[in-house]
Amino acid sequence: MSEFELLRNVTIGQYIPTGSVVHRLDPRAKFLAGVILILAISFTRTLLPIAFLMVVILLISQTSRIPAGYVLRGIVLGLPVLALVFILQFIFVGRAEPAGRIYFEWGWLRVTHLSLQTIGVGLIRITCFIFLTSLVTMTSTITELTHGVESLLRPFRRFGVPSHELALINTIALRFVPTFAEEMEKVMKAQASRGADIGRSRLWRPDQAARNYLPLLVPLFLTALRRAEELVLAMEARCYMGGEGRTKFAQFHARPRDYAVVLGAIIVFGVAFFAPWPSVTQIAAALGFPGL
Amino acid sequence: MPPILRLENVTHKYQPENSSPVEALHGVSLAVEPGDYVVILGHNGSGKSTLAKHLNALLLPTTGEVWVKQWNTKNAAHLRNIRSSVGMVFQTPDNQIVATIVEEDVAFGPENLGVPRDEIIRRVDWALERVDMLPFRQRPPHFLSGGQKQRICIAGMIAMKPEVLVLDESTAMLDPLGRREVLDVVRRLNKEEGVTIIAITHFMEEAVEADRVLVMEAGRIALQGTPREVFGQVERLRELQMNVPQVTQLAVALSESVPGFPRDVLTVGELVAAVWGLPSPPTRSSTVPKGAASDSAFSREEQRSGRAEGPVIIDIKDLTHYYMRGTPLEVKAIEGVTLDVRRGEVLGIIGHTGSGKSTVIQHFNGLLRPHAGAVTVFGQDMRAADVNVRDIRRRVGLVFQQPEAQLFEQYVGDDVAYGPRNLKLSREEVRARVQRAMEAVGLGFDEFKDRLTFALSGGQMRRIALAGVLALEPEVLVLDEPTSGLDPLGREQIMRFILALRDQGVTLVIVSHNMEELARYCDRLGVISEGRTVMIGSPAEVFGQPEKLRELGLGVPAVTDVMNQLQHAGGVGEVGAVLTIQHALKILIEAIGASKAPRVER
Repeated sequence: MSEFELLRNVTIGQYIPTGSVVHRLDPRAKFLAGVILILAISFTRTLLPIAFLMVVILLISQTSRIPAGYVLRGIVLGLPVLALVFILQFIFVGRAEPAGRIYFEWGWLRVTHLSLQTIGVGLIRITCFIFLTSLVTMTSTITELTHGVESLLRPFRRFGVPSHELALINTIALRFVPTFAEEMEKVMKAQASRGADIGRSRLWRPDQAARNYLPLLVPLFLTALRRAEELVLAMEARCYMGGEGRTKFAQFHARPRDYAVVLGAIIVFGVAFFAPWPSVTQIAAALGFPGL
Repeated sequence: MPPILRLENVTHKYQPENSSPVEALHGVSLAVEPGDYVVILGHNGSGKSTLAKHLNALLLPTTGEVWVKQWNTKNAAHLRNIRSSVGMVFQTPDNQIVATIVEEDVAFGPENLGVPRDEIIRRVDWALERVDMLPFRQRPPHFLSGGQKQRICIAGMIAMKPEVLVLDESTAMLDPLGRREVLDVVRRLNKEEGVTIIAITHFMEEAVEADRVLVMEAGRIALQGTPREVFGQVERLRELQMNVPQVTQLAVALSESVPGFPRDVLTVGELVAAVWGLPSPPTRSSTVPKGAASDSAFSREEQRSGRAEGPVIIDIKDLTHYYMRGTPLEVKAIEGVTLDVRRGEVLGIIGHTGSGKSTVIQHFNGLLRPHAGAVTVFGQDMRAADVNVRDIRRRVGLVFQQPEAQLFEQYVGDDVAYGPRNLKLSREEVRARVQRAMEAVGLGFDEFKDRLTFALSGGQMRRIALAGVLALEPEVLVLDEPTSGLDPLGREQIMRFILALRDQGVTLVIVSHNMEELARYCDRLGVISEGRTVMIGSPAEVFGQPEKLRELGLGVPAVTDVMNQLQHAGGVGEVGAVLTIQHALKILIEAIGASKAPRVER
């Protein structure tokens, strides 16, 4: 029984130190490469290139030595939404765009080549997203990420992007995630000890659900406010007066392998987009299954 | 040398919502010399935190002046100078840490001051070394203990190279080990680096170290002097809702029966020396065996040890529990804990933060289930999947640390009623239970039920939270550090209400760091260390092994320590562990009286 362990299923954002090469990369390189791969994933629409991207990501995952099963646990939380999206796609894509070959038709339900491809690509795409974002956060500490982002955004400061403030807000928010998770767990346990049935409200009574969550949310908000007030005092006591005139303790030095990683990501992007990928139908035909 | 801090007739008024202005400080004047160690005492609401916040211009005086070195705090141009000269560490370590890695948090202050990077690196190394946290520099703070986190906060302050360090109840949330760690660091900074220390605290023992003690009351300095001068005035301190260290209490009590016995005794060593320094020091031979016999009768009456003979209602055998089970972050929290709770007793549980004691008590009402071993609560095997958890939670009430954090209703009465309403009781029964629970914590039903919950004082909120569990009318009440963070008066009040429950037949389990409280009230004590039960027995049995406790980093009550030392030196006969001031007083008077008596005959 671990009904109260909140952090157990939130895998995104947990740093898992395995000391792999991926962990030792410059966070800026990791972040840039991640963004490039995410762009590639988002714009690929056919099956083979995205399968290629999936393989690349699985290879990175292998290198990072983080158990794939643990990474995939992040999907569990999103499963209900995903399931809904796929059911809707299954039902409506075939009807809306009756292009391509029709495999099955029953009343107004129509399963086409396009709808299957959309669903397949969608599935792989979501898995890729979760894998990639989890990998970036699991192999870099929060500080590396925030300083990385700050450092990448610094050139845009002259255009009014408050890079230091964004980084600080980000750090503080992430810094308090475990604190609030602990707090939430404690309040849940305290109210359960007073006979509360948390999380057992019925789906068809959202009013009841809301009322059941009040005993958790009110205390949590109150402590959050109190913590914020104290944090402001503590920061003032440490002479924080905004980003002007501050020096920086954390610094990064990019090495050749970091440039190589970004270059690699660009190449993968290029391959996924511009390589003459055959379609699944063509492959099937070549293998002797014409008419698929 | 000119004073480093100077307050001249400082008054501070603030305007709470919808009520008349409150004067938190009332004409306070104070001068602190460089290198001083000043402790400020005072009950909650006496104005001591308001005073502290004036020292680095977090608050400005309504009238009067505050000078830090040559800078007036009213002049905003000096703000950076003032705040880098007067460092301040607050109560809750979690709310002061801004970064996700220890060394970056320490660097935050110097970064703000615009210190060059090479110098920041040097200062971070130096500050972490000063607080003994160098090996932890790459850790995320949420994996550290309270004492470690607070030392990081101190490091973050001293990295700015302040001349004064203000500690605003910085030890209130820590366990004794953490408190000792922090105090050692602070003392070293004072002695070796010459940092001026101003410490605000509720713990009288911390004031013993100071050069000067101030006691605040109603926004004024009511009493000041050296620790010896201040603690000698036991009656005056009581009027100010403060108590004195247990050793001093014993000395004062002795001085009433033994003429000429010094009243201004502050430490165990001093008290032992004072006993030996009497014109007729006690000797072992003088203690008549009859005296020892009557002592054990005395201690039995004191401890009501008959309570520990009741039937076992919660039985824990070889309990093991993991956190984050099945993830790469899995940790074994406890392993092989064996413990039982018997009907009608008061069971004390001792252990450091992180020893696993909180994990153990969460098995008492089924919040956690065993991963190995057995837990039986009221005959129910808690390993079974179909346990009626709701019934168990009704019968075993659990009060968490700082339970006021669980309050959520706007009105006091509604909050207390949350539990009984969850039990689906009738309206009349809910009302009756709320009434009984509120009266049991001394907050009258008619007077308090329609008050705004969040307008209560800290001590009252704690009591309302306790009432919220009492309204379930549990047979066993488990309390996790019920007095932590309260001032002496608040501590005493809440303990009084809790013990009244014992007399109504409620079984009590109290987790506490306060050895003196545990020695006084418990029938049995269990000691948990590193996830295992290491000792269990009567307070006399447990506190009778001071060496073993010390090895675990735990202490014994000060009186027990005094009497042990006297026993070892042959001052009194074999009396075992002495747990209360009254008991110690009786033995000492007997021993001193007995050693006098033969002399008179000769």
